[in-house]
Amino acid sequence: MNTPDFILSCRGLTKDFVLHTIDGRHVEALRGVDLDILPGEHVALAGSSGAGKSSFLKCIYRTYEPTSGSVVLRLRSGSRVDLTSVSDQEMAYLRGRDIGYVSQFLRAEPRRGPLDIVTRAGVSRGMDRVTAREAAAVSLKRLNIEEKLWDVHASVLSGGEKQRINLAAGTISAPQLLLLDEPVSALDPANREAALDLIGDLTSQGVAVLAVFHDIEAMERLASRIVLMRNGRVEMSGDPDMVLDVLTQGARV
Amino acid sequence: MNTSLLQQVLDRNTRIDESPVADLDVNFGLLDEYSKREIRRAILTAVAVPGYQVPFGSREMPVARGWGSGGLQISLAVVGPDDVVKVIDQGDDEGVNAVNLRRLIVSSTGIPESTTPEDSTLIQTRHRIPEDPLDERHTLILQVPVPEPLRGVERDMRELARMHAEADYARMWVSLYEDKVRNGVITRTTGYPCLVNGRYVIATTPIPRWDVPRLHQSRFLSLFGAGREKRIYAVPPHTDVEPLTFEDVPFEVEITPGAECRSCGSSESFLVEVPGSTTDGGGHWVCSDSDWCRRHRERRQHPSRGDRS
Amino acid sequence: MNSEWALKVSSLGKIHGVPDLRALEDTGPDVGTAKSSLTGAIVAAWDVGFEVTPGEALGVIGESGSGKSTVMRCIAGDQSSTTGEVFLRSLDHGRTNVLDLDPSARRRLRVADLSVVYQDPAEGLRLNVTAGGNIAEALTAAGWRHFGRIRDRAAELLERTEVPLSRMDDLVGTFSGGMRQRVQLAKALANEPPVVLLDEPTTGLDASVAAGVLDLIRNLLEETGVAAVVVSHDFAVIEMLTTRCVVMNHGHIVEAGLTDRLLEDPHHPYSQRLVGAARA
Repeated sequence: MNTPDFILSCRGLTKDFVLHTIDGRHVEALRGVDLDILPGEHVALAGSSGAGKSSFLKCIYRTYEPTSGSVVLRLRSGSRVDLTSVSDQEMAYLRGRDIGYVSQFLRAEPRRGPLDIVTRAGVSRGMDRVTAREAAAVSLKRLNIEEKLWDVHASVLSGGEKQRINLAAGTISAPQLLLLDEPVSALDPANREAALDLIGDLTSQGVAVLAVFHDIEAMERLASRIVLMRNGRVEMSGDPDMVLDVLTQGARV
Repeated sequence: MNTSLLQQVLDRNTRIDESPVADLDVNFGLLDEYSKREIRRAILTAVAVPGYQVPFGSREMPVARGWGSGGLQISLAVVGPDDVVKVIDQGDDEGVNAVNLRRLIVSSTGIPESTTPEDSTLIQTRHRIPEDPLDERHTLILQVPVPEPLRGVERDMRELARMHAEADYARMWVSLYEDKVRNGVITRTTGYPCLVNGRYVIATTPIPRWDVPRLHQSRFLSLFGAGREKRIYAVPPHTDVEPLTFEDVPFEVEITPGAECRSCGSSESFLVEVPGSTTDGGGHWVCSDSDWCRRHRERRQHPSRGDRS
Repeated sequence: MNSEWALKVSSLGKIHGVPDLRALEDTGPDVGTAKSSLTGAIVAAWDVGFEVTPGEALGVIGESGSGKSTVMRCIAGDQSSTTGEVFLRSLDHGRTNVLDLDPSARRRLRVADLSVVYQDPAEGLRLNVTAGGNIAEALTAAGWRHFGRIRDRAAELLERTEVPLSRMDDLVGTFSGGMRQRVQLAKALANEPPVVLLDEPTTGLDASVAAGVLDLIRNLLEETGVAAVVVSHDFAVIEMLTTRCVVMNHGHIVEAGLTDRLLEDPHHPYSQRLVGAARA
């Protein structure tokens, strides 16, 4: 049988925290997650808070170290690696090149302007400085960051502006896999529109996207598949309409 | 030494001057043979490792410390019966200290003295190298007050030893850099630091910059003696001596444009300024090397006479 | 990916006092002390090892007494080690153990192979020499002999570390702490060393000044592509500057990992305590 060319393939992913500072108790964040994502797929993770959505993203990105299971990523080169077992240095390398991660929080970069931040992100992805700068400019314009702010230190910008910079930096030079954790939560409708537009374009470029969105509209608009999580497991996975029906029904009930 | 030889020495001493030393029973060259041997060994080491400061057992001499005891010990250790000695202080044979030192050397050895480098073999000096060209016959013995070129940048003895041992002269370069930054030029006058044989940095104290180039690839041997500091170092003939300076900051010697010696008219020798008295106002220049000046003046006055310089 | 390390440390250990290995039995993170009652010796560091590749910054986190400064000083050559191996790619392709070299050879490494930025700038600078002069010391040690070029390079470095050029000829002793630290950075980078060790580079500076210096260090690390080791007790510094780090406690490494992983998912009980305290 022909195995589809998944970008990401998770099997039996679990995450168990041992809290030594509190009598050594265990907290299970993930209890066995399986998921495959194809190129150009936008998979939305849905579920109530505490379901394990963010934990799942972090386990893929290795911000959390999975307790067991495998996370196989197909690299640009075509070869496959299990992210749970690569070295720290290799992971750091892959994070720069093949995997993008956009969270709500801007990484500590107080004294750089948006253009600088996004350009550097591109350079670390392997772009040359000139191309990266141009791409950064395009991205920032697209996300409605005014040019006059491009040299202003990011720390003085609003939450919404920081979030858009985050998004621009995370999406410059389309990675193989893009992980999004509430990337538009602080944006007003107009800016949210632009951001979602950008994200939507990425999937058409073949980027595999795994995203956590708070609002259903965004999920409806972008997702090609929705995965519903509960208690650290995948409860349901399928066509957005179908899953959303279930969700909204559940809410009404 | 047999009696007749000693008698000859004493006879010669009595003939040359009336120093009371001539009546005493002294060893040739004043120093005992053990002392000479130790100093000679230090000199040999110094010559074998150009620029390296060799510690030696500096003795109490009949001159006080700071008056040339180091140079004197070298002279007395190397002097032989066939030598002819010239002693100058700031270029002048007739300075009090030069006279005293010369008298001591002559009376303890009986060798002839001269003021002309051409006729000399040993030249002990403070502060100058004679203007006349010197060659293989000559041994130049320089009196050195401070043999350590790095003294201005470091005080600790162990650290100084380490710096020389590891050829780590970075701090010397820093001080030259700071000098140039602060003053626009490198301002050292006497004792200019030089790299000898590409390895050790020496203080050329006490000669002026004017004389420094004379050391480079010289035909003569230069021995430096510091009595108080108990160090001997050497620049053998045909050895590279490079004044430390930056590639783009040429080493310059002292020149006052238009200055001329009032005695002999020379503007090509090292001149020193004689300040004017309160009555006649301005000062004038004269040659530092008094003997050279005298001969130069004679040649100008009587050009037909054989050139002896 | 460049998997060729620029710096490799292996089994590094330092015991103060009697070098008797019995001291290992009653010291360490599990025991909770670095001082051995068996031998009276202090095991300041033991079995420390890591690699750093060019362009990477590795953090060494620990509280005071953890051994992190000892490790740094042993690698730098400011302190002798008891055991272990340190390799620099720039020295004999990483085949010679730096710790086996005699002191003068180790000093030579400090010219262009390995630079150190000390917590106290006075340790890495000469206060009675100008800013330019301090940099000139590094350059002349590496053989620079052209005054104009030395000056140009010094000016370039000072500009890069944001020291006003008008102060290039001022004595470093007249500079503020933050400015001194910048000059120290400039001097450390003068001969483009492949490896740089930074020991608490902003500790002791006022918060606003520290932020600026931290930014500068981050930029310099990215732009020069050096392999850096950043020793600090301050998580903000580690987070800002490093991608991977190791946690030290009572002389031993208790945990190692990607910096963000360590801060969000610490495993070792001590790491959890440390992170918890920092986050609070």
